[in-house]
Amino acid sequence: MTRALVAIQGVSQHFGVDGASVPALEDIDLEVPDGQFVSVVGPSGCGKSTLLSLVAGLRLPSRGAVRCDGELITAPMPRKVGMIFQEANLLPWLSAVDNVAFPLKLRRVPKRERLEAAARMLELTGLAGFEDRLPHQLSGGMKQRVAIARGLVQNPAVLLMDEPFASLDEQTRMVLGDELLRIWSETRKTVLFVTHSLHEAVYLADRVVVLSARPGRVVDDVLVDLPRPRSFAMTTGERFGVLKDRIWQHIKHAERR
Amino acid sequence: MRRHERVIVAAFVLGLFGLWEALARLGRLDASLAPAPSTILEALMRLLKRPEVLTSLGVTAWEAVAAFLIAVPVGLLIGFTLAEVPVLGALFRPLVNFLFGVPKSIFLPVFILMFGVSIPQKIAFGVFTTIFVLIVGGVASVQSVPRELVTVSRVYGADRWQIVREIYLPAMAPILLESARLGLVFNITAVLLCEIYGARDGIGYRIAAWGENLQMPQLYAALVIVAAAAVAVNEALRRLEARLGFWREQS
Repeated sequence: MTRALVAIQGVSQHFGVDGASVPALEDIDLEVPDGQFVSVVGPSGCGKSTLLSLVAGLRLPSRGAVRCDGELITAPMPRKVGMIFQEANLLPWLSAVDNVAFPLKLRRVPKRERLEAAARMLELTGLAGFEDRLPHQLSGGMKQRVAIARGLVQNPAVLLMDEPFASLDEQTRMVLGDELLRIWSETRKTVLFVTHSLHEAVYLADRVVVLSARPGRVVDDVLVDLPRPRSFAMTTGERFGVLKDRIWQHIKHAERR
Repeated sequence: MRRHERVIVAAFVLGLFGLWEALARLGRLDASLAPAPSTILEALMRLLKRPEVLTSLGVTAWEAVAAFLIAVPVGLLIGFTLAEVPVLGALFRPLVNFLFGVPKSIFLPVFILMFGVSIPQKIAFGVFTTIFVLIVGGVASVQSVPRELVTVSRVYGADRWQIVREIYLPAMAPILLESARLGLVFNITAVLLCEIYGARDGIGYRIAAWGENLQMPQLYAALVIVAAAAVAVNEALRRLEARLGFWREQS
């Protein structure tokens, strides 16, 4: 747990809007050790998602460097980094198993091999028996499970999750949160989890990174010292409340401005 | 239930024809306006045996197919360009939308001036009529590609060509086929209109002649042929469309 698998070093990101340069992220330093589950929270528009897209290699930082496993990220690294979005973003013309196998298809893995790998991932995410369903035949929660299976199918070291449960109802969100923790404990991925929900952030993570309002800077880095496995009972405990409150103080001030 | 409905519809249509036949035979319908279905069928059989009619059908089919084969790739290419190059899109889309709504028959004399009364004139007019459907369809098909799916593919390492093949083509296929189908209907109408307006051959030319000579059985028989061909092609494309668009929720 000492090696930094994801290293964000002195990163700033500016966007050109109508000729002006608007800062989105300012001087972010963040090191994530292998296997850690990190939640990233912050007021709306603080650049949480931008931070993830930098790690995903979808854009380059204006300043600073982002590294994965020591390697500078200049383009998507599909074998090292999997990503899950707010919407499942499944290819609607592909069955569940073909969707999960899609990243392997892009890498030209032989069909049989990739379908076997995809079926295993669907089993891991609790969707055995739904391989041949089309996305529109699946519920919102099931679609997101397919997306998680797709994110894991190449066995990447890092999983980026951009508000993955935000468009689900609360019950589904809670069930999927526990499922995610189970999958995480089985696979030990390094997870960067962006969320609006402080509850979710604390409940899932080893560590919560709090960003300020735009331009986003790291204003707090909270170690979640709750035992694992996490349980619903902990969420009503004192420690949980203290952690959540500490994070809320930062957000509250930022949102009020 | 569906089978049951089909039987009812078929019985209803047959009943209408029966009624028509009966009224015609009883002299209640003016035979010079609406000859009995049996008379039309007879005329149809006779027509299909006459080599010059078959040649005319061939000419029309050739004109329609040629116009279609030019209009589809050219129209789609223009549509894709307008959708993908914002500057060109902004410049040309108002013009395309304007021309899309204008009845193309107004321009028929222009085409006769340019090409004379000829087969190239029919093809050119067919292309002109059809191409706007394809341009508009091409633009719509590109716009129907979900941007998020492109992002997802990029995250998973897709190159440009893979994005085209794995995301663009399947996402666009249903709208492309729909445009082609619509274009075909416009195309056949345009070619026939051209031939009726002025031609040396083609089934439209025959229709015009029969109409002028009040040869109603032949006129209706030609209508049956044209309708059958149009319905067959339309139906084939519609089925292909349903097959390629199976993943769309409404289907």
